[in-house]
Amino acid sequence: MTEIPIRICVNGEWRDLTVKPYERLVDSLRERLGMTGTKVGCGEGECGACTVNIDGKAVLSCLTLAAQADGKQIKTIEGLRKGAELHPIQKAFVEEGAAQCGFCTPGMIMTAEAMLGQDPNPSEENVRKTLANNLCRCTGYDKPVKAILKAARELRGANHE
Amino acid sequence: MSISFTPSAYYRPDSLREAVALLSNLRGKARLIAGGTDLLVMKPSGVDALIDVGVLNLNYIKKKEGTICIGAATTVDLVENSPLLAGWPYQVLPEAAKSMATPTIRNMATIGGNVCNGSPAADLCLALMALDASVSLVAPKGGRTLPLKDFHVGVNRTVLAEDELLAEVLIPKSAGGASFLKLRRHQTAVDIAVVNVSTRLNCVNGRCVDARIVLGAVAEKQICAQKAQGLLLNQIVDPGVIQKAAEQAAEEARPIDDIRASASYRKRMVAVLVRRSLELSAGRCRA
Repeated sequence: MTEIPIRICVNGEWRDLTVKPYERLVDSLRERLGMTGTKVGCGEGECGACTVNIDGKAVLSCLTLAAQADGKQIKTIEGLRKGAELHPIQKAFVEEGAAQCGFCTPGMIMTAEAMLGQDPNPSEENVRKTLANNLCRCTGYDKPVKAILKAARELRGANHE
Repeated sequence: MSISFTPSAYYRPDSLREAVALLSNLRGKARLIAGGTDLLVMKPSGVDALIDVGVLNLNYIKKKEGTICIGAATTVDLVENSPLLAGWPYQVLPEAAKSMATPTIRNMATIGGNVCNGSPAADLCLALMALDASVSLVAPKGGRTLPLKDFHVGVNRTVLAEDELLAEVLIPKSAGGASFLKLRRHQTAVDIAVVNVSTRLNCVNGRCVDARIVLGAVAEKQICAQKAQGLLLNQIVDPGVIQKAAEQAAEEARPIDDIRASASYRKRMVAVLVRRSLELSAGRCRA
């Protein structure tokens, strides 16, 4: 078994890891780095609970090998808040009651974060389309969609200041 | 994760020559990995090594002497938004890309993966075949280029030799209007097509001079409905001709029953989708 040395930048901090050839990025994040905010749901790319952002794009960390992420910028749910202050998307999820059991929430928020990075003013339809890869079995989607639109308004406002 | 999918080596070659040398040395025991959205779901057994195509510089869409060249590792989201593919008939490829899976999967999945996976329902393959695309293959002994329609030999089977890799997809200069349509169950966005079709029509003064009708998920691979195409050639493209061609295309489909639909339903839907797709193509041809 070859062990592969990789260097990944997680939430702004470069980390050196030695991983297995078939090791999933989600397992490196959770088990090697202790970042358990990213969830493992289906493991087949259907549920989106494992969504993280790589180089600004939302991707599924259960279908990404750790070795493929070598040299890349990875953002996880742990990287969003600034000190004690939640990110506007996180805040909006709390305010809108967009989380119930919370298992899908990190994935939804990371999908939203990447989307708002590319499109600061998405239509409701686009938010719904973009969330197609995030399954929720508790609240459904109305509250997350509302929360994301609210966060988008908030972020646009903040950028004008 | 399946315990059978435990490759013991991982390579990240930075040249095509090195990549095909690895494939050759590993004699069928290695698998290429690009987006991972098929391989890491299938987790096939008997894979000893992975060869990551991520640093082969195959992520591009460019134009060379009228031909649009798309690197095999180009992700689907780039295909969706490429200015080189804006305008008919090329826009049929972004149209197919937008219908594929979900935005998150499209950020990862690659055009080469969609082609090499060899699913008879692969959305991009249909649009590419409607555009007469070909594929450029590289092996240690050299390269070859062949029409995409000759690349697949069955479900998940291609003509790729064990030391050969798909480097580029080529779309020749094309004309006319084109369309891609897909019927799928709407419980989940990630589900594949029940039936998908792509058509291209080129008309001069309303008379058809070139026609493509490509059918997906109704045979062991994507197929051109040759006889239906023949019914359109040299005809004034009116609703009657379109209807006849659509019915003929359904005759040429040879679907199976599976969990998504019955064979007889698929055949009927081929007629509906081909009719609508030809109407759209004809409209876009005039546009």
